[in-house]
Amino acid sequence: MPVSSTHYLFLSLLLFSIGIMGTLMRRNAIIIFMCIELMLNAVNLLLVAFSKMYADADAQIFVFFIMVVAAAEVAVGLAVIVMMYRKVHSVDINILNRLKH
Amino acid sequence: MTAIIATTVFGIIMMFTGLFVDNKKTVSSIAAVLFVALLGINIMELSDATGPALRSMTLSLLGTADNTNGAFPQLLFNNMLRIDKMSMWFGTAMTACTALYILLIGKEFRKVGTHVAEYFALIFFILCGLYILTAYNSMLMLFIGIEIMSIPQYVLAGSDKRNLKSSEASLKYFLMGAFSTGILLMGITLLYGATRTFNVTEMVPMLHSESLNPLAISGIVFIMVALGFKVSAAPMHTWTPDVYDGTPTAFTAFMATIVKAGVFFAFLRLFHVSFGNISEHWLMILAIVTALTLLIGNVTAVYQQSVKRMLAYSSIAQAGFMLFSVLAVSSNIAWNGIILYGVAYSVATIGVFAVLVKMKDYTYDGFNGLAKKNPLLAFVTTIFLFSLAGIPLTGGFMAKYYVLLAVMHQGNMMWLVIFALLMAAISVYYYFRVIIAMYFKQGDPELTSEVTMGDQVLLIATTIIVILLGVMPHWFLMPA
Amino acid sequence: MHLLLLTADQNTPFNYFPVALQLVIAIGFVAVMMGATHLLGPKRRTKDKLVNFESGIPSVGNARQPMGIKYFLVAILFVLFDVEVIFFYPYAVNFRFLGAEGFKEVVLFVAFFFCGFLYIVKKGALDWED
Repeated sequence: MPVSSTHYLFLSLLLFSIGIMGTLMRRNAIIIFMCIELMLNAVNLLLVAFSKMYADADAQIFVFFIMVVAAAEVAVGLAVIVMMYRKVHSVDINILNRLKH
Repeated sequence: MTAIIATTVFGIIMMFTGLFVDNKKTVSSIAAVLFVALLGINIMELSDATGPALRSMTLSLLGTADNTNGAFPQLLFNNMLRIDKMSMWFGTAMTACTALYILLIGKEFRKVGTHVAEYFALIFFILCGLYILTAYNSMLMLFIGIEIMSIPQYVLAGSDKRNLKSSEASLKYFLMGAFSTGILLMGITLLYGATRTFNVTEMVPMLHSESLNPLAISGIVFIMVALGFKVSAAPMHTWTPDVYDGTPTAFTAFMATIVKAGVFFAFLRLFHVSFGNISEHWLMILAIVTALTLLIGNVTAVYQQSVKRMLAYSSIAQAGFMLFSVLAVSSNIAWNGIILYGVAYSVATIGVFAVLVKMKDYTYDGFNGLAKKNPLLAFVTTIFLFSLAGIPLTGGFMAKYYVLLAVMHQGNMMWLVIFALLMAAISVYYYFRVIIAMYFKQGDPELTSEVTMGDQVLLIATTIIVILLGVMPHWFLMPA
Repeated sequence: MHLLLLTADQNTPFNYFPVALQLVIAIGFVAVMMGATHLLGPKRRTKDKLVNFESGIPSVGNARQPMGIKYFLVAILFVLFDVEVIFFYPYAVNFRFLGAEGFKEVVLFVAFFFCGFLYIVKKGALDWED
């Protein structure tokens, strides 16, 4: 069975959907964060597949940028989660309801 | 281009200023000087681009030599950036708003925390993202611009480390922001799969109405949802009130105004330039989003007890109006509409926030009797709120007029315009509640800091700008 | 094995036969070993078997104790600086083609990078004793 870019499209969309469902359904901030990373990596996979399909290196450079920006986001995001953890000793996002009136 | 480099370098200078200068007042002064310098650089660049009238005026003001290169629009970095007059005009307007913001609210940074220089550095970096967003010509630049804008905002939202609400706002904003980034990237990738290019202008011939790739349509919808998150359009608005409420007030003023206007400009650019030809595929979705944004923003704002939270919902409602300029695909005044709306909304909101940071109690009752205690403060707040509500002779009226006119030129959207007018009428109710509290209720509002002479002059100047925007809007529009 | 292949130009599926064989042997070895120990080994069910083995010394307390925030900070900074290096790969590939102009730009990139490094050193993010 030859693998076409359609297969990659479906694989990537599947991973992306898993990421979205995880983000929406899980309650642990770290796991939500990992699900978001899964979404980004689904995008990376699809970009590389398209890059190969079109024989165009632009998409691969885009992947590099996504990786670097994701790392910057990880740095800030983990710092925020640690700051939160030190205050409430939990990473459960259900306790984030003090702002609701 | 110079502005992008300058703001990055200034940001780094501010970072190191924080290391070597301990006195917070000195830090603030250095930052103010750098912001004014940035505005100067923007005006210089703009004067190179626009007609000789403005250039000779600026040159005589600055006393510098003429070094025009006249090649506009500039295409830079393999067509990844396209700096044209419109983007420069918008960038300059937003820089001017930022300078105003720094002058009015910059002092309050000292109350937020100890890292004053870093806050200024982060604002410089956000401006860098804004300039990229005004000039991007490639999806890569759109992505990078949005991220450069967003990541410093997560930090600013959590900058009040002693306050749990601030940390909470930061975490919420971060999770929602990162989530929407993922969606944006998927949209960009699907669009790339359909068109084989990341270039905003080169993809136009690939997008035909007759034979539209399903990847392209889903890509456009993904991008629309992601940008909707960033500009807090309903139903992607749920993070906005919590984040704006929890963020230190001094930074909410920046996040709700200049940043939002910048993302809107990017939104407009992408949907008009790239997707303008296939508007029949997405216009209806966006129209429904607009209607929903107006409805939710305005109706929920009515029930708020805190003025800060009311302003957060009002920013959702105003986003609904700004979406009109995106809807007006075939109209050529949409671009001017978004510039005017961005400036009018930013100036008025910054003004209200400048008053709000001085108040001790953010509820409506906290404003009771302000007119007796400090008539000037009450008067300028009234003018700013008039502008936000869209009362004639203020900037808000002209801005709303422009964006609604743009949609009417477009045709087919009359129901939405009437709905928007209805919603604007509702908005008058909650804005006027503040005015009624200030003028017709008894009370003794407490101020956190003294209203100095400089504050008064700046607030009056801001009021004059708001009124000028309403009376002479063409002064703020790009000369044709 | 097709799933692993994007281009099948010079690579026929047969080329991957050794890999497949390796996989089968590896999985088979693990399965056989686990089955064999289960069947052949003596079975003693005492309480001591459920205790963590710490080189013969009785274990003390819970291992999940909070660590110093310093480790976290250094780890995060490492991730940041580590990932930025990714931009050197495309540059290294096109090193000759980009020439002096490209070199200048990479030096600029490193200079900005160095600014960040100076900043964290000056901030004391890398000081271990405090």
